[in-house]
Amino acid sequence: MSNEEQRAQFQRYKEDVSRRGKPFHPWAMFHDTVMSVVVVGVIVGLACLWYFTSGEEAGDSGILGPRYTEEADPGTTSFIPRPDWYFFFLFYLLRIFKWPESVVLGTVGIPTIALILLIMVPFFDRRRERRLVRRPVAVVAALLVIASLGILTYRGATAEESLASENVELVDEWVEVQGLSEEGREGGTFFAELGCMNCHTYLDAGSANLGAPDLSEIGAGGQGADYFQQYVADPSQFGNTVMPQYANQGEEVLSALATFLEESKGEGGGEGGG
Amino acid sequence: MPRLKSKRRQQLEQAVLLPVDWLEERSGLVGAVKYFLFRKVPHDTNWFHTLGSATLTAFLVQVITGVILAFYYKPSPNEAYASIQNITNELTLGWLVRGMHRWGASVFIILLFLHMGRVFLFGAYKYPRELNWLIGVILLTLAMAEGFTGYLLPWDQTAYWATVVGININATAPIAGPFIADFLRGGSEIGENTLSIFYSLHMLVIPGGLFALIGLHLYLVIRLGVTSPPWSKDPAGAEREEVVTARRGLVEPRPRGNGDVRGLR
Repeated sequence: MSNEEQRAQFQRYKEDVSRRGKPFHPWAMFHDTVMSVVVVGVIVGLACLWYFTSGEEAGDSGILGPRYTEEADPGTTSFIPRPDWYFFFLFYLLRIFKWPESVVLGTVGIPTIALILLIMVPFFDRRRERRLVRRPVAVVAALLVIASLGILTYRGATAEESLASENVELVDEWVEVQGLSEEGREGGTFFAELGCMNCHTYLDAGSANLGAPDLSEIGAGGQGADYFQQYVADPSQFGNTVMPQYANQGEEVLSALATFLEESKGEGGGEGGG
Repeated sequence: MPRLKSKRRQQLEQAVLLPVDWLEERSGLVGAVKYFLFRKVPHDTNWFHTLGSATLTAFLVQVITGVILAFYYKPSPNEAYASIQNITNELTLGWLVRGMHRWGASVFIILLFLHMGRVFLFGAYKYPRELNWLIGVILLTLAMAEGFTGYLLPWDQTAYWATVVGININATAPIAGPFIADFLRGGSEIGENTLSIFYSLHMLVIPGGLFALIGLHLYLVIRLGVTSPPWSKDPAGAEREEVVTARRGLVEPRPRGNGDVRGLR
């Protein structure tokens, strides 16, 4: 459609509204006021529901979650990170991609592309048509976006997190399968307790998060325990900025962890791998 | 008696009108407000059109409760958690203010998405309203940034570890990523600086942007008007010149004056 037509149509709209429209006040003002009262009512209602069903104790959760959890403690690493619900779709998106090759697609790539597409909507769709039956592409696109956001949010909300207490039970099995040494067993216990399995999977246990790789055969690459110790202490030195630093766990823990990783050569017992 | 009453009334009216006129003469603001209130909107405007003002209401709730929270909240790692506990459990109605801010954020985000969905389905982003769509998308991202920065402030485990992950996600961006992460942390570890930076972003920088862009957004809404629903049988601005002319001839009285008979045709 040419600019001339667009301008003419908008001119017609303005004349039409000024001739046949209704005054904003009180016509639309009434609707807006009623809606605003409803919004404030809902917010107050949620606040009441949240407060009166929860307790003063940290983590004492009601229908809408606790008032607060324990005070922040950089020392614990077993805490499961959870964003507010409207970031669940992004949070879950990261599970689809693997560190380090493609995780950037989930963290930056897809969200950026989605945002650019969203901004560009009026520049793609320049037709004057506004009736839904005549805009099949727009309607299908909208439904797909709603469906994918809904599914990602739902999956993010219900994603199962691994519990340290359950993972520790698995250490004996790991010793058997991997043939771990005594220090390796110790490292495996730390591995289960320190929250590593919130992101890494190990012999089909744990939850894949933030694109973190499976570590069942990590020792098969032959990098050696020293490499693992340095890596776990400060992953950013190796270009990994997603994984937190574990330097504050101390030499002993790191050394045991490194031994555990070095000895983890998979069910094949360390034949090759890569 | 009636004369006295009307005189008193006159004085009263004058007392009210004098400052109004004074203001109008020097600023034109009264005229602007009058224009805002009594401007025409399409006759088929309906409940769907209230989603924008509902979003604005949710934003204002955030502003008011946020200001009150800032009176009592202490943005340092040693005091933040205790001050949040104090606000929630000790302060009179502190729980209500914090609860409204906490849940108002969710309501704000939901309404933003609903409002955006309404605009999309109505095709209301089309000429000449493209710019306002763009501003709306920026407002949405700023609102999400408010959600992210505000989440750290209670300084509990949930807040801390979600922010660790969130900052690490920022760090994966090519080239700029590590710098953004270092800036957000205010160093290499999350600590005192991080909390101050997030607090400043959450209540100065991002709200400043939100206020400015919401102002621009509303200005454009008032300037360009709102669109009729796409299912309207008689939408504002539809091409129906002939129908209108024909109807005018039948329904409206014949125009008076110098023998203009076009209305009869």
